[in-house]
Amino acid sequence: MKRSILCLAAIFISAVLYAQSLPPVDKSPMDMSYYPNNYPVLKIQDKLTEPLVARVIYSRPQKAGRAIFGGLVKYGEVWRFGANEATEIDLYKNVKIGGKKLKAGRYTLYAIVNENTWTIIVNKETDTWGSFKYDAKKDLLRTQVPVQKTDGPVESLSMVFEKTATGMNLVVAWDTVKVTIPFNF
Amino acid sequence: MKTISFWLIFSLILGLAPACSNKENKEEKKPTPDTTTRINIPVNSINPYTIVDISPMDISYFPADYPILKMEKTISTLPLARIVYSRPHLQGRRLFQNLLKYDEPWRLGANESTELELYTDVSIQDKKIKAGRYVLYCIPHADTWTVVFNTNTDSWGLHPDPTKDLTSFTIPVKQTTNRLEYFTMVFENTATGTDIVMAWDNLEARLPIIFPVK
Repeated sequence: MKRSILCLAAIFISAVLYAQSLPPVDKSPMDMSYYPNNYPVLKIQDKLTEPLVARVIYSRPQKAGRAIFGGLVKYGEVWRFGANEATEIDLYKNVKIGGKKLKAGRYTLYAIVNENTWTIIVNKETDTWGSFKYDAKKDLLRTQVPVQKTDGPVESLSMVFEKTATGMNLVVAWDTVKVTIPFNF
Repeated sequence: MKTISFWLIFSLILGLAPACSNKENKEEKKPTPDTTTRINIPVNSINPYTIVDISPMDISYFPADYPILKMEKTISTLPLARIVYSRPHLQGRRLFQNLLKYDEPWRLGANESTELELYTDVSIQDKKIKAGRYVLYCIPHADTWTVVFNTNTDSWGLHPDPTKDLTSFTIPVKQTTNRLEYFTMVFENTATGTDIVMAWDNLEARLPIIFPVK
């Protein structure tokens, strides 16, 4: 009996150890959005009508019953705009954000949220984690955007591009609010 | 042995059941909670902006956990490689009995095509591969997998375009004792560089990458 229990414990421990040796599935899953929307699908279907402009790679935390803005995400502080690895935007062409030029390249995105406006930050420190060691000296530009209400609650942080007359917007929505960040090109 | 595990699971269920029902009873007696701070939305409810994928995306770096090391300032060199891929899960299926066919291309992931980014030139099986972004896909056979490097980046994983294949490498595949629910790609250190480890169900294949000495 004792031996069986010991044996069982050994099996359990080894199962746990194996499970730890390869990475588990993240609680806040990563996702990717392109402009033009669904670019990868359109590309293999030969249905592209516009060249590739941008893609954003971000992780999607969930509301999970919590108060998000002003609660989990504190007003006036730099927020990592996602989860886990820092949110990344790849620009495949030069753009303008809030009248400021941004060259094609890879950048990280952060935000400072407030009740009525968010400050969107474009920073050049890539391949990093969250905003815990965010360095304002590596900022390339900041722009302010107004906060809008969503039609209904949004459970997972969402980022998606939409076409505009002068380029595209990056729409970012979570909980009951959204912002649209205009990119001109 | 079997009876012990049965009783262990049985007693666990017995132990949990009253705990769950107690919780429910307590919640019923509570006054209506403040709905302005707690809204319960089903996780899979429709997201009007962009749905949450069933096969979540993930990223693996070499050196492993590079972004954390960079944040902690324990690393000052550039990353050498990273993979962005989506992670399908078995959900009761078996890999080659239900999901994949031998000798047919497999996208090594789900959704957007799996992307390997090399931050520096490398060599694989004596072939030089330049720094850059590549689509990876695989043609699995019973004992070997052929891993294909393709240049059709920013594409969807289904139907890879063979006219844009750059090169391919055949590697052995081995059986593992444990099964993995989620497809996993990760870098592991080797004496000469790193292995890209591809593991799912009870199979594991490794593609050795050598980083040339500068």
